[in-house]
Amino acid sequence: MEEYNKLKHMFDKGALSRRDFMSGVAMIGAGMAVAPTLLSGTAQAATPKVGGNFIIGMEGGSATDSLDPRTYSDSVMIGASLAVYNCMVEFDSNGNPTGELLESWEAKPGAKEWIFNVRKGVKFSNGKTLDADDIIYSIGIHTGETKSPAKGILKQITEIKKINANQIQMTLEGGNADFPVILGDYHLIVVPNGFTDWQKPIGTGGYTLEKFEPGVGLKFKRRGDYWKAGRANFETVEIRNIQDVAARTAALQSGQVHAVNRLDPRTVNLLMKDKKLNVVRTKGTGNRFCFVSRVTDAPFDNKDLRTALKYGIDRQKIIDQVYSGFATPGNDHTLDAGNPFYNTELPQRKYDPDKAAFHFKKAGLGNAKIELQASEGAWGSAVDCAQLYQESLKKAGINLDVKKVSADGYWDNVWLKVPFCAVYWGRRLSADQTFSQVYSSASDWNDSNWKRPEFDKLITEARAELDQKKRKEMYWKAQEMISDDGGMICFAITDYLDGYAKNVMGNEPHARYDLNDERLAEKAWFA
Amino acid sequence: MLKTIVIRVALGLLTLWAVSILIFGATEILPGDVASAVLGQGATPETLAVFRHELGLDRPSYVRYLEWFFNALHGDLGIAMTNKRVIVETIAPRLTNTLFLAGYAALIAVPTSVVLGIVAAINEGKFIDRFVNIISLMTISVPEFFIAYVLILYLAVQFEVFPSLSTVFPEMDFSEKIYTAALPAFTLTMLVMAHMLRMTRTSVLSIMSQPYIEMAFLKGLTRSQVIVRHALPNAAAPIISVIALNLAYLIVGVVVIEVVFVYPGIGQFMVDGVAKRDLPVVQACGLIFAGAFVGLNTVADVLAIMVNPRLRHPR
Repeated sequence: MEEYNKLKHMFDKGALSRRDFMSGVAMIGAGMAVAPTLLSGTAQAATPKVGGNFIIGMEGGSATDSLDPRTYSDSVMIGASLAVYNCMVEFDSNGNPTGELLESWEAKPGAKEWIFNVRKGVKFSNGKTLDADDIIYSIGIHTGETKSPAKGILKQITEIKKINANQIQMTLEGGNADFPVILGDYHLIVVPNGFTDWQKPIGTGGYTLEKFEPGVGLKFKRRGDYWKAGRANFETVEIRNIQDVAARTAALQSGQVHAVNRLDPRTVNLLMKDKKLNVVRTKGTGNRFCFVSRVTDAPFDNKDLRTALKYGIDRQKIIDQVYSGFATPGNDHTLDAGNPFYNTELPQRKYDPDKAAFHFKKAGLGNAKIELQASEGAWGSAVDCAQLYQESLKKAGINLDVKKVSADGYWDNVWLKVPFCAVYWGRRLSADQTFSQVYSSASDWNDSNWKRPEFDKLITEARAELDQKKRKEMYWKAQEMISDDGGMICFAITDYLDGYAKNVMGNEPHARYDLNDERLAEKAWFA
Repeated sequence: MLKTIVIRVALGLLTLWAVSILIFGATEILPGDVASAVLGQGATPETLAVFRHELGLDRPSYVRYLEWFFNALHGDLGIAMTNKRVIVETIAPRLTNTLFLAGYAALIAVPTSVVLGIVAAINEGKFIDRFVNIISLMTISVPEFFIAYVLILYLAVQFEVFPSLSTVFPEMDFSEKIYTAALPAFTLTMLVMAHMLRMTRTSVLSIMSQPYIEMAFLKGLTRSQVIVRHALPNAAAPIISVIALNLAYLIVGVVVIEVVFVYPGIGQFMVDGVAKRDLPVVQACGLIFAGAFVGLNTVADVLAIMVNPRLRHPR
């Protein structure tokens, strides 16, 4: 029972997700039957209650924001967008796709042709009823002559055909078993056919926009006739841009906001002691921090050097010192453990100076200096990580030269250009997207320049495979290949840390993003 | 005297024009451009080209400068490249907020520091002189965010006297605004007081060694009468320019305070513009900042000419 109490304590403090708690409880043999009642204080206990003005303080917005989905790139606009619009596909808390405006779907064998059923009886805020044309238009704004970031993922669609008012057929250039997952991209929100005035958004979401001041905040009002039962429970919702983490924390502590994103890992342990607050931790689905070498540039074309560099990084030390323990070690590929296809049997690579020294010697480079370029432009603490890396490599007898470069223009001038530099990758929608965007020969963003025809073949085959078991085997193999041979040292994947006032419900961790998959406005309620 | 003033104003305008060229040039040489900054890590050459063409970034820079300059003369600062909003409309409330906060802080800081400076000069070397000096030096020696966080910790989190979020909205009434923006105003007051206070004290004291001051003492005036009647008018010029500099700082240099208190001023607006390479926004902010700086300094010079008895009656 002592072990149980520890788990319960960690869960209450938010240090443990609901899922971790459950599996922990199952492991120590405490009855699953009692667990849910004990959890009722924090999780989905009561049925949602309607009312209140909910204020979220968020980082990730700018004075340059707009409600045009083709410009979304950070949390404030994504969260705001999901309050007024709906997506085509939503995800359950385990990360599996479920129907949203596309209610259900079916693939023909080969996963090339898909039939989607459009949800019936859904109304836009201007009264119009949703039909297939709206969906087709909403996909269309991201294709053709556009700067939409979603253009790339939609390129695979060769034909969209309206079967009837509530059915659409899409044909792809090749089979893609994860296509519904792709349609869950947050850029793909649905607007009425022909809609263009992005300053006055019309959507099917639970709220309507009252006020929008870019870089300052947004205000929403409950529609009242939302098609999702039990969702969108606040009378009004406000999103405030609060860039500074100390300001966000102070606003939460003084009760001026009810929820904040991206708490500071260094102070979160203190916040957990505050009786008025809840801290919710989403484990290891955040940013993937990597040092990436171009395997076509000398000396990184030497596999032994790459192996030495992978063994020579002290992942746990970086996580403990830079992220105060709120991150998960990476295994030199960018898929996270929340993904259903994560290879759980691939041994986690650990710091081993002896092995690093062995492989470095085998690489036959003498005592050559290796230059790593890092910058705050890559991510805030990239230089700190690089310096710890330098220290841990020294113990293996490898000299790393950390060159700090300008944050300005980092993605233009350094990344994809220099042989060894810092980079972070965000979560991708699916395993296939992760592999094909970061590691396939055809990708513009293959930053390690690691091109292996057998890998390309493997992921192309896996993409069209509708048999989940076979696909899993293929993706496990793919992770093994990247981890062993690739040019990427992926050492940490961050946790998301949200803070909530005690009376905010519906804020459990999600397998994808923070703030309950960025849908806090519609999923939360006041107790 | 009139001639001196006219020349001074003309020089101010010339400076402003030169600054406009500098601003435009500086935004031109920023590494990367709006297209790659907006599209971020996910940009492809194809989407970049489309976006650049859409924004007219493929035209030569002098064409864009002339177009921008003449539009700016007409009060048209263009449209933001990133969110397609009219810049004058989005900048106006931000500028109003900044001026409100600057005015708020100045109304507390300027009288307090000038009076305290004079009091310190009258009581040179006594306890009150040492005390105000030490306090004002302490507040200027720590980073601005430190004062801000200390105020937040005590006045907002522990004792909920003032809000830590100072976001003011146009629909708030005046007293509400005063209450909401109290903490940033106090912080700014502490930051700018030392400079003005010490300048007042020093310039008054330096006048005190002049022969005509000795004359005033000899004719039997008290120390405070001498300082207020004889020393202060002659010490005014440096004090005025320091006040002007600090006022300009209150308008253009408070990004950190805006961020810490989430105050929707123009500083954060410009920083966001720079981060996204939104050139028209950056240029507009730059022009406004330059205008504030040049304008306040010109006013200070003109005032200094007007209050100085020797410049007022040149021989």
